[in-house]
Amino acid sequence: MAAIENAHFTTLKGAYDQETMEATLKVRRYDPETGKSRFDTFTVTIPVTATVLDALDAIKDTCDGTLSYRKSCRMSVCGSCGMRVDGGAALACKTSMRKFVEAGHTITVSPMGNLPVIKDLVVDMTPFWDKIRAIKPYLDTKDADTPAKEWRINPEDTALIHKESLCILCGCCVSECNSMESDPEFLGPAALAKAYRFVGDARDKDTRERLRDLSGAHGIWDCTRCYFCNQRCPKGVDPRDAIAKLGAESFKEGFTSDAGAKHAKVFVDSTYKGGFLRETELVPKTIGPANAIKDIPFALQLARAGKVPNPLSPHKAKDNDEVKRLWKLLEKEAKGQPRRATATHPDAVQEG
Amino acid sequence: MIRHDVIVLGAGLAGMRAAIEAKRAGVDVAVISKLHPTRSHSGAAEGGINAALGNATEDSPESHTYDTIKGSDYLGDQDAIEVMCREAPDDIYELEHMGAIFTRASDGKLAQRPFGAAGAPRTVYSADITGHVLIHVLYEQLVKYEIKVYEEFFATRVVVDEGRCAGVIAWDTQKGGLHAIEANHVILATGGVGRMYYGTTNAFACTGDGMSLAWNAGVPLKDMEFMQVHPTTLKSNGVLITEGCRGEGGYLRNKDGERFMVHDAPNAMELASRDVVSRAEWREIADGRGVDGCVMLDLTHLGWKKLKSRLPGSRELAMDYAGVDPIEQPIPVRPGAHYQMGGVDCDIWGETMVPGLWAAGEVACVSVHGANRLGGNSLMETIVFGRRAGQAAAERVFEQGDTGARIEPAALADEDRRIAAILNNSEGERPGVLREELAKTMYDKAGVYRTGEALLECQDKVHDLRERAKTLSLDDHSSVFNTDLTTALELLSLLECADCLVTSAVARKESRGAHSRLDFTTRDDDHWLKHTLNWNDGGEVRLDYRPVTITTHQPLARSY
Repeated sequence: MAAIENAHFTTLKGAYDQETMEATLKVRRYDPETGKSRFDTFTVTIPVTATVLDALDAIKDTCDGTLSYRKSCRMSVCGSCGMRVDGGAALACKTSMRKFVEAGHTITVSPMGNLPVIKDLVVDMTPFWDKIRAIKPYLDTKDADTPAKEWRINPEDTALIHKESLCILCGCCVSECNSMESDPEFLGPAALAKAYRFVGDARDKDTRERLRDLSGAHGIWDCTRCYFCNQRCPKGVDPRDAIAKLGAESFKEGFTSDAGAKHAKVFVDSTYKGGFLRETELVPKTIGPANAIKDIPFALQLARAGKVPNPLSPHKAKDNDEVKRLWKLLEKEAKGQPRRATATHPDAVQEG
Repeated sequence: MIRHDVIVLGAGLAGMRAAIEAKRAGVDVAVISKLHPTRSHSGAAEGGINAALGNATEDSPESHTYDTIKGSDYLGDQDAIEVMCREAPDDIYELEHMGAIFTRASDGKLAQRPFGAAGAPRTVYSADITGHVLIHVLYEQLVKYEIKVYEEFFATRVVVDEGRCAGVIAWDTQKGGLHAIEANHVILATGGVGRMYYGTTNAFACTGDGMSLAWNAGVPLKDMEFMQVHPTTLKSNGVLITEGCRGEGGYLRNKDGERFMVHDAPNAMELASRDVVSRAEWREIADGRGVDGCVMLDLTHLGWKKLKSRLPGSRELAMDYAGVDPIEQPIPVRPGAHYQMGGVDCDIWGETMVPGLWAAGEVACVSVHGANRLGGNSLMETIVFGRRAGQAAAERVFEQGDTGARIEPAALADEDRRIAAILNNSEGERPGVLREELAKTMYDKAGVYRTGEALLECQDKVHDLRERAKTLSLDDHSSVFNTDLTTALELLSLLECADCLVTSAVARKESRGAHSRLDFTTRDDDHWLKHTLNWNDGGEVRLDYRPVTITTHQPLARSY
C-alpha cells in the first residue's frame, strides 16, 4: 500500500468551506388546528449551491421549527419534495436557489395543487395513490409459462417504455393538471404514464383489457392536451406523450366508442378528406346527432359571435391530393414500426 | 389494539421483499414505514445488483463468493456469503419476472457490467437508476398482493414481553398519536445510518432508527466500526456518483491529471475495492494534490453516446448539484459515508437473539460485507435476505401461531410519557444544532483514516452530545405532521449508533477494510479476526466479540 504514512490527516482542511449567500423566501403556511392560511417571509444564509430544499431546511433549523414539508433523498429520485415554486410544481431538491438570489427575486413556495393540504407544504397524497392503484400497476403475464431464466427482450424494445420508467411518482404533473382541476376523478398524467409502462412492456399480456379500461370514463380521452404535465415533470417522463401513445394503442384495439376517441377520429377523417377540419361535423360525430341537436342553441350563440364557419361552403385544401400523399406516407411509416415489443421465452431461442 | 402475524418495519427493498414473501406464504403481514414505500432510500441506488449469471463472460457463484470474502477483508461470515451468492441468480430472474426493467444486451439477455473488485462483469443494472427501477417493481408487487401499509408511521419502540418480541409502538405522523401494533414477528428493514456523517450519500431518512430500536430491545449491534466511505460523492451535498462510471471506464485524476490509482492498485486501477480507492483519494487531497478538496472523476473520454445511454442519471446529478456536464468536464468528487457494513446481529435467516425479532438489509449484519462491501452486493443482500426473513418468519407463524407476547397498556403509557416529554419541551438546544455537530465530528474524527487519539476525542464528543440531547428544544408542539418531533427522534437514534461505532473503533487496534488506523496500519488476524458486538448496558455501550465463520477461504493478504 503506497504512502499511507504521507496521509497525516484524519481531517481534511476546508472540508466545510462553501461560499454563502443570503436568500429570501415567501412560504405558504397552513395550520390544520385553526384551519387558517398565511404567508411567512424568511431570510436565511445558505451555500451558493443550495436548493430550495436546503433553504427550507435552513429556515426549519434556524428560524421556525414548525415549518412542515416532506423530504428524503435530496437527489431528485425519491419524489417526496414536490411543491410549487412561484406557482408551478417542482422538486424542491432539484431547484437551485442561486439564479433567484442573483436576480434579486423572492420566490414563493406553496403546496402542490389538485391535492388537499395537510399542513404547510405537505399535501394528502391519498387520491394520487388511489389512482395509481386503479390502473392495475403491476405486470400481468397471464398464463404465460414463466421461464427459468430471464425473458429475452431486445434493447430497442425495452427502450419503448424508457421514459415512463423514469417516473418517481412525485405528483408534480398531477399538481398542474388542468383536466383534473375540473374532473377530480380523471386518472391523470402520473397514473396514465404508469399505465403505458405496462401497455408498452413486452412481457405484459393484459394489453387489451388495460386499453379497454383506460379508454373509458375519466381515462385517456379526458386529457385536454395542455402539456403542463410534460412541462412540469422533473424527470423527463412526458406524461402527455404517454397518453398519446395509449390513445394510438387503444385505436389499434378498436376502442373508439368514447366521445374523446370519436373526437380524435373526426379530426383525422376530416383532414384526410378535405385537408381541413370541418367543424360542423365535429360535434355530431363526437357526441352523436341526438345530443348535437340539444347543442343547437349554443351553436347559434356562437354563430352570432362570429365563431362558427359557414357550414355550407366548408374549407377545402387547394391540393388535397398532397394531404393524402402525406397521410399515406405517415401510415407507411407507422407500419414500419414494431407494433408492440416482444418478449421471447429463453427456451424458444436458438443459441448460436 | 391492532394485531398482525408479521410486521415489517421499513419499506425499502429488503422490507418490501420480506413482506411479499410472507404474504405469499399466506400469513397476515403489514408494513410500517416512516416514508411512503417508493420514497425509501433503496431507490437512490444507482449502479446495479450482483449475481453470477454468466451472461457477459463465464462466471460462477463460487467466484462471486470468493470476491466477496476477499472484499470483506475476511471479516464476512463465509456461510452467509455462500448463501447470498448461490441464491442471487434466481432472485434476479424473479425480479425480472416481476417486471423489473433491466438493461439488455444485444442478445436480449440481462446485460452485466464490471464493478470494483469483481472477477467478472457481474453487475446487473438498469442504466444508472437500478435502485429506482427495483423499488418501483417491488411497490407494484406490494399493491398486487394488497399488503397493508401504515404509511408515515414512525416506530419509536420495539416491545419485548417476557423475552419475546410483542410488536411495536409507532407515532402516526399524519394525524399524530401513538399506536401499539402487536405482532408475533417483527422484521426490521429500516436501512442505514449515513446521516451521522457530514459528507454522506445517504438520504435524510437514513438515521439508524431500526438499529437503535433493536439495541434498546436487547439485541447487540455488530461490526459498527465499519462504515463504508464511497470514493465518488459530490462536495455540495454528498450525492453519490455511481461506481458504474468507473465500471464504464471512467478515470480518477489528481490536480496534475495523474491517474493516481496506479500507486495503490496497479492492476485494478479505478476498479479496486471502495476502501482502497477512498484512501487513495484522501491521501491525494490531504497531500495537496486535490482540487478544492476533491479529486476529478474524468468521463470525458467515454463520449456523449455512452454517457447518455449508460450514465444519464449521473450526468443529471453532476449538472444539478455540481454545475458540471461530464461530457465536457470532469466531475469533482470526494469520499463520503455511504454504507453501514455493521448492524443488527442476526443469523442467515435474519433472526436475532430476541425471539420474534428479525432483521434484513442494511439495518442487519448477517454478515456478508465484513469490513468492506463490494459495489452491487447491497441490493443483492436486500433481496436475498429480505426474502429469507419473510419466508422464515411466515414458517414460524405456521409452527407457533400466536406466541402470546403482548404489548401491555403500561408499556404504551410509558412510551406515551417519553414521547410527550420530548414533544412538549422548549428548553435546551435545537435538534439541528446537535445533528450538525455530530456529523462534523464523525466526518473529521472517524472517517477514512482514524487514529486512537482522534477516535477518543470523537467518543468524548458523542457522549457529550448524548447528554445534551436529553433535553431538546422543539418549536413545534402540535400533533399533525410534526417533523420537528421526528427530527428529534431521529437524532436520538443517530447518537446511539454513533456511540456504538466510535466505541468499537477505539477498541479495534488494527486496519481492516473500511476501518483504517494510522496508528495500527496492518491487519492483525491473530487478535482481530473477530466480530465486534455492542450491547446496550443501561444506555452505555458494552463491547463483546465473536469469531468469524470461515468455511473454505483462509485469510490471505489483500491486494488489487
